[in-house]
Amino acid sequence: MRNMSGDDMKTTHRRGPWTISLVLVSFFSAPVGVIADETCNSPYLASLIKGQEDFIHVWTLGVEGVGDGSDKLVTVDVNPKSARYGKVVDFVSVKGRGEAHHMGFTDDRKYLWAGRLDDNNIFVFDVGTNPAKPKLVRTISDIAQKSGYVGPHTFYAMPGRMLVGTLSNAKDGSGTTGLVVYNNKGDYVAKYAMPTTTIGGVQGDGYGYDVAINPQKNAMLTSSFTGHKNYMTELGQLINNPEAMKRFGNTMVLWDFKAMKAQKVFNTPGAPLEIRWSLKEGDNWAITASALTSKLWLVKQDSGGQWQAKDVATIGDPAKTPLPVDISIAADGKSLWVNTFMDGKTRLFDLSNPEAPKQVYEKETGKQVNMISQSWDGKRVYITSSLLANWDKKGADNEQFLKLYSWDGKELKEQWTIDFIKEKLGRAHHMKLTAKPTKNAALHAESQSVAASR
Amino acid sequence: MVTTRWWRQLIVISVLTSLVIASVQGATTDSEPGRPRQDFIAPLPGSYTLEVIQRAPSGKVLDVDGRVYPLDQYMTGKITLLSFIYTYCVDPVGCPLAFQTFIGLRERLSATPNVARQVRFVSLSFDPTNDTPTAMKLYAGQFSDASNTLRWHFLTTRSVAELKPILDDFGQDVSVQVDTGGRPIRLYNHMLKIFLIDTNGRVREIYTTAFLLPDVLFNDIQTLIMEEQGKR
Repeated sequence: MRNMSGDDMKTTHRRGPWTISLVLVSFFSAPVGVIADETCNSPYLASLIKGQEDFIHVWTLGVEGVGDGSDKLVTVDVNPKSARYGKVVDFVSVKGRGEAHHMGFTDDRKYLWAGRLDDNNIFVFDVGTNPAKPKLVRTISDIAQKSGYVGPHTFYAMPGRMLVGTLSNAKDGSGTTGLVVYNNKGDYVAKYAMPTTTIGGVQGDGYGYDVAINPQKNAMLTSSFTGHKNYMTELGQLINNPEAMKRFGNTMVLWDFKAMKAQKVFNTPGAPLEIRWSLKEGDNWAITASALTSKLWLVKQDSGGQWQAKDVATIGDPAKTPLPVDISIAADGKSLWVNTFMDGKTRLFDLSNPEAPKQVYEKETGKQVNMISQSWDGKRVYITSSLLANWDKKGADNEQFLKLYSWDGKELKEQWTIDFIKEKLGRAHHMKLTAKPTKNAALHAESQSVAASR
Repeated sequence: MVTTRWWRQLIVISVLTSLVIASVQGATTDSEPGRPRQDFIAPLPGSYTLEVIQRAPSGKVLDVDGRVYPLDQYMTGKITLLSFIYTYCVDPVGCPLAFQTFIGLRERLSATPNVARQVRFVSLSFDPTNDTPTAMKLYAGQFSDASNTLRWHFLTTRSVAELKPILDDFGQDVSVQVDTGGRPIRLYNHMLKIFLIDTNGRVREIYTTAFLLPDVLFNDIQTLIMEEQGKR
């Protein structure tokens, strides 16, 4: 049970306007999102791709009657020099449908962990040996048993291990949840509860969603979404249930990363989702978007070195609940792409002054858009369509695609679209980029060669 | 072949000399690209828990005198800081950074001999073909002296066949660069990882480049020492 302190009461009161506006919008809308691009990867990750990526992997939700109906990892060739540019070159189906959602590389970038929010399975794919043909090498199924948490969402590489941000718990399916650590072999290491006490004058709500670490500041930020009961409920039912609509996260938490201890809770109403630290040398801020209140939130150190959070911009017209679901920050921290699910728009914000972001561009990129990932140089922008199986739009608006746009600083120009229904794949969700391995020899081959030459 | 060996020895000496000079000049600076920065005060020793990440693997290794020992001997009984290196590595954020970090920590830990005696460093080579016990001894110089309060062991293996399971178990990736003809050359690609291992042979922390912060390493070692003291 959540502690209804004065702070929590205040938070609850603030939910009113956006809750009402959400109910007023179409049934075919939805909160939440997810993401993956080179500028969002863990700083512990090896070999960020700063040139041309070769492949994009799309964690895809199976749809009954579409292909084999199973969740799958779809691989697309995205190198313009390839004969198969813009084509699906491989997919690996996993058993059944379990609400495929997000993925994350291990620290050595050789393995991709992909989670399912409903059955809590985590699939580990080898993408290092041959990224054109990923191979399922392990399935981790014990997160609920080991930690009590369910809904493995964010996969964030730490040295030799994976930090998993979860959305819910096995006991009551609410949003009270935590963080779980596995080693790279897939063995459980530890768990950490999201705070439910008052820290820094703000009541923790115990909810979780994304994780982002700034190692030079020893700062980890987490955001908050909603629990299994809500994210597995048909959107129409959910928005007609006022009590359920109160059960969304309204906080972000700053952690002492080394100690894995919560240091401060920020009041950031409206389900703050993806978190991106500016990667520019010397910057001391991160940004996020709250889905239900349509705000950009800046978390930054003040002149006294204290971390503060404040809303710095609105995204579209919050009264129309555009539902910002994913963001992608430029490598230099100067701009931010924002996808809004409801209106299918991709917006660009100028972050030259992160205290006052300004929208400088927008384009409708689909009937529904969710994830957005840009290349390190910002010239290529990938977009997918699916939010959650039960929250995607219906009928003709339920487009399912992967699109590539080029960006020249002025205009997003569509390069190609892969229709995931026509290709019998499913709902396109999270994306990760890979490149072909450099021409290296495995250690054993080198040994033989050297031995022979001596 | 003799010329090649001489050339390798020269590289080892050059690399070692540059490392020592760098260590004398001080720790990494903020302006050095790719080097880790620390813009925070490290949490106090004992104020946090280092979780057990995995067991350190078993295997067989060679010391600088060519004697074979079980790896366990270097993974238990003391708090161990282990890094994989190769003697002619010149990547500024690779082996030389690990070496510099070890030298700085050695100096700090040695200021308290009772602490230094509870800690050991291990540098284990990626390259059993070139990094023979003799090459490791040359690379180690005085750092491997048995009389040092803080022992630093420079180890290699008899073969890749004996090394590879150790690397795989630690999760230490490595591959060998090849030339345009696909032939292996003398350079390794690897992600810098340093492993902190407790007295029972359990990995308690892993440091990659972004996280290789001397103050944090120092406090982590102190944390494990305090944990040991708490058992007594």
